[in-house]
Amino acid sequence: MGIVYAIISGKGGVGKTTTTANIGIGIAQEGKKVVLVDFDLGQRNLDLILGLENRVIYDMVHVMDEEAGLKQALIKSKHTDNLFLLAASQTKDKSALVQEKVKKLIETLKEEFDYVILDAPAGIESGFEHTIMYADATIVVVNPEVSSIRDADKAIGIVDAKCERAKENKKVQKYLVINRINPAMVSSGEMLASADILDILSIDLLGKIPEDKGIVEASNTGKPIILNEKSGAGAAYKRICKRLCGENVAFEDVETFNSPSIMGKIKGLFQ
Amino acid sequence: MSFFSLFNKKETSAGVAKDRLRIAISSDRNNTSYPFMAEMKADIIAVVRKYIDAQSVNITKESDGDVDTLGIEIIIPK
Repeated sequence: MGIVYAIISGKGGVGKTTTTANIGIGIAQEGKKVVLVDFDLGQRNLDLILGLENRVIYDMVHVMDEEAGLKQALIKSKHTDNLFLLAASQTKDKSALVQEKVKKLIETLKEEFDYVILDAPAGIESGFEHTIMYADATIVVVNPEVSSIRDADKAIGIVDAKCERAKENKKVQKYLVINRINPAMVSSGEMLASADILDILSIDLLGKIPEDKGIVEASNTGKPIILNEKSGAGAAYKRICKRLCGENVAFEDVETFNSPSIMGKIKGLFQ
Repeated sequence: MSFFSLFNKKETSAGVAKDRLRIAISSDRNNTSYPFMAEMKADIIAVVRKYIDAQSVNITKESDGDVDTLGIEIIIPK
């Protein structure tokens, strides 16, 4: 029986889909069987981030409405064995989701896969509620920025109120991923530090992702950054995946800015 | 921290952000009613009306430190 994670953020544009794609690849590389489900109906993007946009024939709404079998709709990743995508429908909107059908879909996926990872839509409307309803745990993605943190707090409140596990008085684990950390700005006090964010949201830290120019190239080419082992963000995602697979990985300091030495600065002048 | 910032007592913008967020979030959390508030209100009115002619019911949720309290005010016509 697999475990169901919902990846949520409240605010849009903080890197939720990017995080879903990277975590999916990373956990699959650890040898687990993983399925990613894009719950952002009408705004399908996870396929694009994974480089699978040309392979989508059937989507999750087809499967829920039994117009297609699960096997027909699952798209195998190009990058890793063990990773499959169930795409969002591009035509139907969030009202296409029916609670009973969502439940049945997730139950079926749990039997087939070790990790079922749901990419929630932005916002806290019905589409979001359907995503978190049957989750065992949630991963909250924030940027070190006031509106993202406030919206995340709101989303966490809804998980505590509406998730089935919470209603059964079971604990719904919530893990925090802080994305787009700019070390130079944290060091100079221009950006909230991870300790401050954890203090405010009071949930467990799962990982800190430094801002990385490689993210744009990764989404341009459909090759998530975790595939680039030299990148800071890729390494940070790798550590997150090991933690999710039960390994005890120390938290690296991605917030201290090492300013270039005087020689480095002089060299910089001539470059 | 640079050498000059030792003499610069001005609060950093991250510090300002943290203070503002704390206040905004604590006010958000207090103002959030339960998702089942409307249903509960209807149920309470139904129970009260079995015994007495209630005019209206107001439910307020307040947070005081570690404890949340629900205030239920039932207005009865004279």
